[in-house]
Amino acid sequence: MERVEREEAAVQTKGGPTVVQGASLTTIAWQQFKKHPMARIALVILGIMYLLAAFADFMAPYPEHDINPNATFEPPTVVHFLDPQGNLTWPFIYGMKKTIDMQTFESIWTTDTSTRYPLKLFVHRTGLRDRYVPFPVNLIPVQLRHVLGIRPWATLHLFGVADAGDQAKIHLLGTDDLGADVFGKLMFGARISLTIGILASAVAIVIGMIMGGLAGFYGGWLDEIILRFVEALSAIPFLFLLLTLSAIFYPLHLPSTTQFMLIIVALSVIGWGQIARAVRGQVLSLRERDFTVAAKALGASNMRVITRHLLPQTLSFIIISLSIQIPEYTLAESVLSFFGLGIQPPSTSWGLMLSTAQSFAGVTGLGDRWWIFTPGVAIFVAVLTWNLLGDGLRDAFDPKSRR
Amino acid sequence: MLPFIVRRLFNLIPTFIIATFLAWGIIQAAPGDFATQFAFDQVDPNKAERIRQLLGLDQAWYIRYLYWLRNLILHFNLGTSMTSKASVTALILPLMRNSMVLLVPATVLAFAIAIPIGVYSALHKYSLADRFLTVFSLLGLAVPNFFLALIVLAFSVQWFHHYHWFLIPTGGMTSTDFSSYGPLHQILDVGWHLIGPVLVLTLSSLAFVSRVMRGEMLEVLSQDYIRTARCKGLSERSVNVKHALRNAILVIVAIIGSTLPGLVSGAGSVEYVTGWPGITPLFISSIFAQDVYVVMALLTILTLLLMVGNLLSDLALAMIDPRIRY
Repeated sequence: MERVEREEAAVQTKGGPTVVQGASLTTIAWQQFKKHPMARIALVILGIMYLLAAFADFMAPYPEHDINPNATFEPPTVVHFLDPQGNLTWPFIYGMKKTIDMQTFESIWTTDTSTRYPLKLFVHRTGLRDRYVPFPVNLIPVQLRHVLGIRPWATLHLFGVADAGDQAKIHLLGTDDLGADVFGKLMFGARISLTIGILASAVAIVIGMIMGGLAGFYGGWLDEIILRFVEALSAIPFLFLLLTLSAIFYPLHLPSTTQFMLIIVALSVIGWGQIARAVRGQVLSLRERDFTVAAKALGASNMRVITRHLLPQTLSFIIISLSIQIPEYTLAESVLSFFGLGIQPPSTSWGLMLSTAQSFAGVTGLGDRWWIFTPGVAIFVAVLTWNLLGDGLRDAFDPKSRR
Repeated sequence: MLPFIVRRLFNLIPTFIIATFLAWGIIQAAPGDFATQFAFDQVDPNKAERIRQLLGLDQAWYIRYLYWLRNLILHFNLGTSMTSKASVTALILPLMRNSMVLLVPATVLAFAIAIPIGVYSALHKYSLADRFLTVFSLLGLAVPNFFLALIVLAFSVQWFHHYHWFLIPTGGMTSTDFSSYGPLHQILDVGWHLIGPVLVLTLSSLAFVSRVMRGEMLEVLSQDYIRTARCKGLSERSVNVKHALRNAILVIVAIIGSTLPGLVSGAGSVEYVTGWPGITPLFISSIFAQDVYVVMALLTILTLLLMVGNLLSDLALAMIDPRIRY
């Protein structure tokens, strides 16, 4: 790894002479990052997606585990902005009626235009099942909240249909096989699908840096063992190893929080190898550098040399490998949940939602129930934006790939 | 050359043993075993214990690993499936062949299309076609394999709903009355069923390989010896083909080995979605049934396959690149 060279930035002061200033690593990185319009757009889109996930309870018209066996595969609700005469009015929706085709036993949904249900913004839904714990507080574990006595129930939703009951429900992206609102589920699922990638790659990088650092710094038999282990780990195909690892916990029927953490562990256990290998290579070259030798000559302990002199040099590397790993892990989680070995119901993730689409794939045409395929689009957008952001970050932090 | 091959082969042995031991440990770490499902048998309360003894599940896991390894090395025996009571080898071989029928054409096709695309993009850097291909490969890298397969499947169903005949089949490897077809018809039938899965697999690896090829070609084209070749007055074609492409292609040979795991995994999800009777459906059902020998055998074979693939790609590289000494 090259040492990040300080770029000299020429700053023109008002009327005065040109002053040459040194720029810090982050300043250079930001300057480089700004040259990537796509990466900036990706950053904005990702920001919106994470905000939607954080405030999913507020954005979704119905609570997370709301299902309705009588309204399965209801098509998306059309929001009308024009009344039947063609005049612009306050947006409203019509109710949907289900009839069953007695020949094929398929439900047929028709729009019931007799009553108009106006859309309401900022609806309070005070039912026991409708209230929720708002965003930053819901990150505190339930038990801890009970101990501390924090019960900040919120009842506000961004939009909804007032006083309609079951006559008219707003499902912007229809309902799935359980009658749950797909639009809401997408945002609740995002909470898992979008965070697993970040957490898993963070854990993988920590493990990888420790192992790679040890292997590179101490060398000898430790190096040999770690290298052999990494090689063996990478010899087993990724997907199959991941499935086998997840199968360990499958029979235990663990609570969803534990399941979530175990998936992170499984993903990072598989992915730390390549990071360790790269870190080892870096440490090998860094430990012969003058500043390391100097630190040692001054009597610094091994620990101090590693933490103060070697690891900080790998900052750019961490950011670059994070940007590669996060989209990969996001994809891996979706595959795992899709196969039924990842997130378990009633929790939801995009991959799990797609497994519904899979079980009805033999009968569902692309045009018939297109809305149950939307989680796939969400995965696609998330991975694409992470990749684009990663490209930008790589150019910003890697002196070799600068333009 | 021969000592090099032998040395590489010997190097594979410890990796293979550690990898299989690791896989064995992971499989055995799951709570319960195959016999657990009989624990509450009403008629015969001791059934679970008896089955456990019969299958040797009462012994320590590392002892059973040694037995397993001995059987594999001495008798080439991968054990007996606990659910179907058939030899694992007999169970797996036909499925393995089916998986290869899917994997080989997809791999060949992906490389055959991706290399020209990558070279073209590099030679026409920032042209309209290059920009289009860059966007395409960015999109291609972000689409999950299984989602693409789902879309193809749903498209096929939709087509049938609309026109009442199948453009491509909605899964499987053969038609229902396959056994009554003549040999040529059978091949055509399998080929017809291959279209969807191969399309999905090829598209998903296309993006990656063409991107690598483009990057490598650009890297080579910026080297000094390319400028020298141009200065000598060589034709553009000669520079591109004889000097640049020859060097750039080395990297592709080197990455064939490392793309195999991705391809095998990708083929796994495609098999699962399209109902292709390959190894993945068996793997999934065996995992849920804790049929350890089947799971272990599949992991072992795939690991071997990858190691051999890597070895072959290294050997090919050593053969065509005179700079590599062995």
